[in-house]
Parts: sequence; C-alpha cells; structure tokens
Amino acid sequence: MSLVLDIALCALILGVGLATVAGHGVFRAVIFFITYGLLLAIGWARLGAYDVALAEAAISAGLTGVLLLAAHGRLRRLSAAEEAPLRRNLPAALIATGVALALGWAWFALPDPAAPDLTAALPQSGVGNPVTAVLLNFRAWDTLLEAIILLAALIGLWMLARDRAWNEPLGLQYHARAGGVMASFGRVLPPIGLIFGVYLVWAGAETTGGAFQGGTVLAAVCLVSLMAGVLPAPRIAQTAWRAALVFGPGVFLLSGVAGAIFAQGFLALPPALAKPAIVTIEAALTLSIAVTLVLLVIGPPDDGGQDA
Amino acid sequence: MTIWLHILAIALLASLGGALWRVWRGPSQADRMMAAQLIGTGGVAVLMVLAALQDWTLLAVAFALATLAALAAVGFVKSESPDGAGDPEEAPPATELRGTVQDRTRNG
Repeated sequence: MSLVLDIALCALILGVGLATVAGHGVFRAVIFFITYGLLLAIGWARLGAYDVALAEAAISAGLTGVLLLAAHGRLRRLSAAEEAPLRRNLPAALIATGVALALGWAWFALPDPAAPDLTAALPQSGVGNPVTAVLLNFRAWDTLLEAIILLAALIGLWMLARDRAWNEPLGLQYHARAGGVMASFGRVLPPIGLIFGVYLVWAGAETTGGAFQGGTVLAAVCLVSLMAGVLPAPRIAQTAWRAALVFGPGVFLLSGVAGAIFAQGFLALPPALAKPAIVTIEAALTLSIAVTLVLLVIGPPDDGGQDA
Repeated sequence: MTIWLHILAIALLASLGGALWRVWRGPSQADRMMAAQLIGTGGVAVLMVLAALQDWTLLAVAFALATLAALAAVGFVKSESPDGAGDPEEAPPATELRGTVQDRTRNG
C-alpha cells in the first residue's frame, strides 16, 4: 500500500513539474510552481528528510510564492506581461532531456555512497539532531560560508538600486485599510510565527528544526507585518537592520576565531562547550537569516521610477 | 490501522489532483489562486496523516505549512492592487483603476 502512495506522490510531482514548464501563461506557471514546492515538501517528508521538508515547506509557502506573485504583478504594471505566443524550443527541450537522462544514468551507475556513521561522533557534538551536528559542528565551515553568501546575495540585489533611490525605503510602500482584514492578519500571525520560529531554533538541537527553518518562518511573518503596513519599510541606512544582517555571521566568525585560539582549530568546538556554543550561534544566525530573507524578498529601494 | 492511514493519504493526494485540475483550467487568476490554497490545506492534511504513519515530528512541517500557506494569497491580492502594494478593502483611488483590476482578474 505504501508503494501506491509513493507512486501517486511521484506522479503528482512529475505532473505539476511538467505543467509548470509546458503550460501557457506566466500566472499559471507561478501557481503551479508554488504547488510544486508544497508537493516536494511532502516528498521529502516521505523520504524521512524532515529538516529538508520543513525548509522546503517554509520557503515555498512563505517566500517564493510572495516573490513570484509580486514579480508577476510588477511585470503587469509595466505592461511587460503580454504573453509571447508559445514557441516550441526543440534544442532546449533536447538538452534538458539529455541532462535529465545523464543525471538519472549517473544515479544508477554510481556505487551506493557509504554514509559516514555519526553514532560514534554524535555524543561529542553537543546536540542530538544529526543534521544540526553536521551543519554547526562537523561541517561548520560550509555553514559559515553559506551565511556569508546570503549576505553577498543581498548586496548584489542592492546594486540594482538607482543612486537617487539609495536612501528611499526598501521595496514597495505597502498600505492597507486600518482595522481591515489585512491589517488584522498582520497583527495576529506574527506572534504565532514568532513563537513557532523560536521553537524551531530551540528544538533544532534535538529534533526537526534549525536556524534556517526558524529564520524562514520569522522572515515570512515579518513580511506579513510589512505587507499589512504594521511595520514601516526598512531603509538601507538604518543601523539596526544592518547590524541584524551581520550579527549572525559575526558571532559565527568570532566563535571560529575563539576555537582557533582556545581549542584545536578554527571553528573547532570543545565537547563541553559545544551545546551552548551551537545554540548561541544558531540564535544569532536565525536573526540574520530572517532579516536577510525579508530584505531579499522586498527588493531594492524603489523610488517609483519606471524601468527602461 | 496503517492500511487505513495509507488509503486516507492516497485519497487526500487524489483530492489534490482535483485541485490541480482547477489550477490548470482556471479560467480566472482568482480560481487558480484559490485552488493553490486548497492544495495548501490538502497538503497539511497529507502531512498530518504521514505524521501518524511515520514520525510525529512531521507535525512541525504541517504546522509550518498551515501558518504560512496564506501568504501566497496575501501576495496575490497585493500584486493585483493598482500600485502593487494596496488592499481591496481600501477606498479605490479612482473608479477606472478599480475597473482595470477586475478586468485583469477576470481574464487570467
């Protein structure tokens, strides 16, 4: 019976993926892509990768949909959304099919990877969730660079701002009727999301959760507050927002340097201090990830000028 | 018990297929958006059944989806307003702007 369930799920994922690229119309493709992320989250859950399922669900439901729908709305306002007639691009289809087949062949041709056995090392990592242990202890170097890449992506996005718009508030100036549905939603959802996000970070040490998942939930509810007009739009020049951006990578780097001075090496955590160190780094990273994701979704400062 | 949970999960997935048909057909953008919301709700249900089947920590994934699935609808309503940042509950700035929004929404 579980085979039927898996086949049904795979059929849905493949069908939605096909409908996203094959269907006519940008809006329909956007909606299919949102549902695609949701089905992928169910797929990861089915595979037992609960942390990935959580990240996929939070990102696809909370951030990607808002981003793509806002992009579609902006294209429409610029009258650039006139649908081009559907043109069959045979070379692109052939290349894409070839890449898919090659990847599929590589999957079956490669020997089964020997997953490193974490059971011996896990007690020394300070946390009970193997994913968190790998991300923040055994392979902390990768996570540090990922946190910095997120920052670099935001700076790259801000490069798109025009000079005269640099001091303007970021993104669109959202407004809603005071006391209306949107304004109430912007006040009701954030407290729930705040508790849930903090829970995910705290629980991530032992079970499903983590800094990225918690940060994404916090970013999503912060976005709701911004879109409801409850929070004023941030500006690039505001020190608090900038400090929140670099806080996580900064704490991570400092702990890495401390490891180099007092422990075995850069980013090394002594087992006795591992748990408090990991929770501190995760808390700082969560703040930075949340703020970076919010600023990435709302976009560069916009003075309302039309793009050429 | 497990077999019934499997059957329930398959039935829920099949109902997602019905909602996907509405995303494909439309015809209006609002139809597609509401179908996506229905798929979000159905996805929460599937995840809760999977939580009973596999591991109760999946309830955290279901809760994340339940909390955040409405954001896409918020993004849709915002992007449909004349300046991309408004709210249909607000008084329309001018009557002809309101007309264009409704026309746009109708032919998706």
